[in-house]
Amino acid sequence: MEHYLIIARSVTFAQRMQRALGRTGIRCQIFRAPRELTDLGCAYVVRIAVSDLAPALMTLRRESLDPVQIFLYQRGLYQEVKA
Amino acid sequence: MIYFDSAATTFQKPAAVAAAMQNAMRTMSSPGRGGHHAAMRAAETAFTCRSELAELYGMPNPECVVFTLNATHALNIAIKSLVRPGDRVVISGYEHNAVTRPLAALGAEIAVADGPLFRPEEVLEAFRHQITPETRAVICNHVSNVFGFIQPVEEIAAICRSRKVPLIIDASQSAGILPLDMTELGAAFIAMPGHKGLYGPQGTGVLLCGGEVQVRTLLEGGTGSLSIQQEMPDFLPDRLEAGTHNMPGIAGLLAGVRFIRRRGVEKICQRERRLTLLAAEGLRTIPGVEVYAMPGLRNQAGVLSFTAKERDVEEIGMALAERDIAVRTGLHCAPLAHRSAGTLDSGTVRLSFSDFNTPEEVYRFLTALKRKLR
Repeated sequence: MEHYLIIARSVTFAQRMQRALGRTGIRCQIFRAPRELTDLGCAYVVRIAVSDLAPALMTLRRESLDPVQIFLYQRGLYQEVKA
Repeated sequence: MIYFDSAATTFQKPAAVAAAMQNAMRTMSSPGRGGHHAAMRAAETAFTCRSELAELYGMPNPECVVFTLNATHALNIAIKSLVRPGDRVVISGYEHNAVTRPLAALGAEIAVADGPLFRPEEVLEAFRHQITPETRAVICNHVSNVFGFIQPVEEIAAICRSRKVPLIIDASQSAGILPLDMTELGAAFIAMPGHKGLYGPQGTGVLLCGGEVQVRTLLEGGTGSLSIQQEMPDFLPDRLEAGTHNMPGIAGLLAGVRFIRRRGVEKICQRERRLTLLAAEGLRTIPGVEVYAMPGLRNQAGVLSFTAKERDVEEIGMALAERDIAVRTGLHCAPLAHRSAGTLDSGTVRLSFSDFNTPEEVYRFLTALKRKLR
């Protein structure tokens, strides 16, 4: 199923993102980042529905929670998108 | 046991603290060290604890709440982030060795803003005088661990803001008892133990970090983030939290924080001050006892020191211990505070209360002491 993965710089920031998105009614989950997506070594991602990207980015910007990277998962592949 | 040594560690804890610790040992591993349930439960607990502490201390960002081993650990990080050898640092006359020893080890130039006990106006004047353009940092405890003296940290913070000098507040004796607002104070750091007024277990401490200070690491190691790079992450809390977290401790601390938030910091303070006042009034009726308190317990929290004429404080402490009454005697790791108060030669007997003490315990203590000093 298509979705976006927002990479956070740490589990704490992923949790802050999750709380911030939750407050605005955006459902999301935290997972470990797939190894192929990041050269950081260890990272966490926040997964959101495709339709939620724009409001999610607005919310994160308002809370000064900058994503490290954002990926679209589509047809079995990840593709980086610019915020 | 009658336990009046809560300024060292609160001994009676809310039942939820031990339960939370046991639950953590059964169900949690390490936060940020995996995506499995045990790691994510730990991460959730750690984040919730940070968030509740951030709310309690008026901080917008929970990541600026850093877990440490104790207040000494937190103070070392704060001091070593700000002070270099030879730097001028202004401290109050009531600081603990947790402040003075790191400064001595760094070779800092220490200026003491000294003032008499329970006279915050004079302490404030001393800070005004001692904070010069060369001052690199100011350090002040909120409450003296020996005398319970509530220092005027809000006013000291205002001076520091106006003179653009970073302030470190040692909240070891005030956390969970007196309110503090990190944002309003604009402090660089506030350090506190988890195991005193926050009712967490030993082995827990907290460093609240203000926004603009470049923090220095005391330890380097794994953080579960940016693992590919060999430098510590430059963001909090990871920068200051190398190695595996004390999850049973953090879970217990969260239960303790929830207890004080539910009960209310003001109510806890009122109760402790009532007990302190009761003890002070009772002690004053015993011939030869000198009590370090102002009438009405002005500018004092739930810590009380006394001495008895021609009696060794250690002898008093031992006699009380034989009756299963726990007090602290000696210099309380704060020789500077004793020097400021004029009790360096004798030391004092210190009573320090928690929300779990009762007036009956104070009466029993007074009876036991009267018997000893007869």
